[in-house]
Amino acid sequence: MTTDIVTIERDLQELWKNNTAEAAAAGHSTTRALTLNLLARASSADEADAMGAVIQELTASHPCRAVVLIDQPATGEPQLEAWVQANCLLPAPGAPQVCGEQITISSRGGRAGQVASLMLPLLVPDLPVVLWMAGDQPFGHRLLGKLRGVLDRLIVDSAGFADPIRDLVTMAAFDAGDTPGPGAGPDSPALSDLNWARLTPWRELTAQFFDTRPFLPHLHRLDHVEIDYVAAGDGGLLRALMLAGWLASSLGWDLVDGGVSRAGEEISLRMVRPGVGAASGDTRPVTISLRPAPFDNNALVGLSALHMRAVDHVLADFSVEHTDSPTCARTVAQADGHPTVSRLARVERAGAADLLAAELRLLSRDRTFSAALQAAAGFARGIIVP
Amino acid sequence: MIDTPTLENPLRSGLRLGRTPEPCTMVIFGATGDLTSRKLVPALYNLTRERRIPGGFSVVGFARRDWSDDFFRQTMLEGVNDNSRSGKVDGPLWESFAAGMSYHQSNFDDSDGYASLRERLDVIDQERGTGGNRVFYLATPPESYPVIIRQLGAHGLNVSPNGGWTRIIIEKPFGHDLDSARDLNAQVLSVFHEDQVYRIDHYLGKETVQNLMVFRFANGIFEPIWNRSQIDHVQITVSETVGVEDRGGYYDQSGAMRDMIQNHMMQLLTLTAMEAPVAYDANSVRDEKVKVLRAVRPIAPADVARYTVRGQYGPGNMGGSPAVGYRTGRGINPESQTETFVALKLFVDNWRWAGVPFYLRTGKRLPRRASEISVQFKTAPHLLFADSPTNDIEPNVLSIKIQPDEGITLKVSSKVPGQGQIRPVTMDFRYGTTFGVASPEAYERLLLDCMLGDGTLFTRRDEVEASWSLITPIHQGWAAGPRQEFPNYEAGDWGPASADEFMARDGRAWRRV
Repeated sequence: MTTDIVTIERDLQELWKNNTAEAAAAGHSTTRALTLNLLARASSADEADAMGAVIQELTASHPCRAVVLIDQPATGEPQLEAWVQANCLLPAPGAPQVCGEQITISSRGGRAGQVASLMLPLLVPDLPVVLWMAGDQPFGHRLLGKLRGVLDRLIVDSAGFADPIRDLVTMAAFDAGDTPGPGAGPDSPALSDLNWARLTPWRELTAQFFDTRPFLPHLHRLDHVEIDYVAAGDGGLLRALMLAGWLASSLGWDLVDGGVSRAGEEISLRMVRPGVGAASGDTRPVTISLRPAPFDNNALVGLSALHMRAVDHVLADFSVEHTDSPTCARTVAQADGHPTVSRLARVERAGAADLLAAELRLLSRDRTFSAALQAAAGFARGIIVP
Repeated sequence: MIDTPTLENPLRSGLRLGRTPEPCTMVIFGATGDLTSRKLVPALYNLTRERRIPGGFSVVGFARRDWSDDFFRQTMLEGVNDNSRSGKVDGPLWESFAAGMSYHQSNFDDSDGYASLRERLDVIDQERGTGGNRVFYLATPPESYPVIIRQLGAHGLNVSPNGGWTRIIIEKPFGHDLDSARDLNAQVLSVFHEDQVYRIDHYLGKETVQNLMVFRFANGIFEPIWNRSQIDHVQITVSETVGVEDRGGYYDQSGAMRDMIQNHMMQLLTLTAMEAPVAYDANSVRDEKVKVLRAVRPIAPADVARYTVRGQYGPGNMGGSPAVGYRTGRGINPESQTETFVALKLFVDNWRWAGVPFYLRTGKRLPRRASEISVQFKTAPHLLFADSPTNDIEPNVLSIKIQPDEGITLKVSSKVPGQGQIRPVTMDFRYGTTFGVASPEAYERLLLDCMLGDGTLFTRRDEVEASWSLITPIHQGWAAGPRQEFPNYEAGDWGPASADEFMARDGRAWRRV
């Protein structure tokens, strides 16, 4: 167990020396590959183990220097411990083994400043710095404030938020740089939400309808949207709100004053969109209904259906629904004067490492996410204050 | 139709997958052949699996054999299960994909077959919403291309109804010499416009080949050294361990020059030597590639002995097992003069490359399967360190490996710790270990690009003709020269001894790949 930087670095050197020797003895070579600094904050040893397993899996696509912090400020006497390990992939025949490295820091009863002072010198220069905070919303966390200025990206998972609607509003304020909290402000890091990343297949399938030329005009004439979400389970309502926020922000729909109403788990959003064709210059009403659906194991990432309908001028209907297959959705496009197009599409069940890898591929702010998040936060504020 | 406020799909913004093509029907001529079940349908299925192809997409297999729709689907299912990089199919997903597959039995010269094809395509448009969008894929032997193209034109299948688009993909070989390539181009372009024509060279679909452009033009540090001042020579090697297997009949008429050099290796040469295009679009990139081909100094028939080496393998050993010679293969003339190995020295006569030789080498039954471009830089202008038995100061070499271990390696000299010794070491970047994402098959990329109307990775008419204009004089020189003492290398060797002598004459040696 080591706690100072010099010792940690010496341990790392020793680790690589042994690793190289072991690989040579096993008849293959080993390659240290680092593509980013990934700081991960866990609130318990169990959570750190789970995050460590994800980081190990992530080595396939993003070998990194990981610094995993087990942060237990309220536990016992102040104590800092650290240990190092290599995260290696099984080598393919004839190929070198690729390894990243992990430093785990266990902090009990300590202060954020102490922990951050240990983390900062461990960052590898010239590589992006990403902080991954699992669990409840972290926007008030003191560690964020201490790492401000070095962070390129903050990754959270809103599926774990304790008070989803209010925390969504907080997250949107952080992303907009509107809050004085730790880590926020104009130079706040880019934000990623793994719960948003879960929506990617839904967004792709929805967007694909309108890559087809005859269907594209209907996109600007949608009048009704229904999103069926699984109310039981983590993050379903927030995903439904963010999907609605994505449609609204992409298509220029505005929430009307007092346009949010809630009856139990069902939420109705009244909006307006720009008129098109003869109605150009006017606005037309659009309604979005978020409807609870019974729990279903096959529901894809907590959503069971999306229906979009246009009744303005020409009738058209587009839907994505989950099927009996846990990995397939059915998409159906119908429009007057056009044959119905229906198909099954594969929707992979992404694990935490897949979601994290997808967000790590982003090198700058995800403006689509930011816009969708701001719209969703507008809906959430309406739910909080009807 | 209702009016369209914008031609862009606003929901595409911020999505990480590119746009999907419009629904279309792909008609594969020669659908009972190997290519369809081994490459094309697995690629189409994988594109569907990854949500890159929209609903309504349909496939019509067109061939002579008397197959039913069900038999065609079943054969393709087996092909996908055996050859797809994603493994066995997902049952419900395959059923949804296969619902759009059908088989159309006809001879390639049967006019009625095309009339009924046209009706069938109209029905598919009505039932599956393919909107008159069509891709015709010629996966037949090349002798069938002219008749298929004529028949498509005669039945009005070269243009789409309802404002849709029609494109045609033509497999290699595109001609067997300059005249035949020109004839074929003339026939194709008497029916289709050039922007409808997609001449496929699957090498261009490979990720590392595309990365060659990214490597050169997205990294500013290479441009100042990518020229005659810094580069001594370039070697491009495509070595195969396989023989001709069941392609003997075709190969004996073709040889390594037509099979490899004219298409794949010329692509690698042009991508290595080209200037930066003004934009990354089909015509800008292809303009630059054509400029390179036009700058390559032709090898006159009288000069072939000086600039080329030919070889043919005899019996030998491959990987510890005996291997038969080329001439004993099925469909091969026992006295064959066909080359299974070629080495060439080419010069690109322009400001960037004047005087820098490009050595190209390809062969069958060589010890190792590898494709790579290696750029050998000039030695340091003044050596500070003594040349001694313990010092090995070699020029820097940048190797771009295309297969099997896709990646880039830079060889530099380094001091051995604790000693006064200098040794070459390599800095490695490997695709497979740096990016965990599996590379798509070349055909997936190319089929999708064609459906999206992007011809960047396809060969344009003038490119094909410029390439043949370099190859045909060499064939003429060979034909006019003496008979070769074939075989002149054993299976499992690195080509004939004359290939090594060819390099030694220039004071250089082939790189060990």
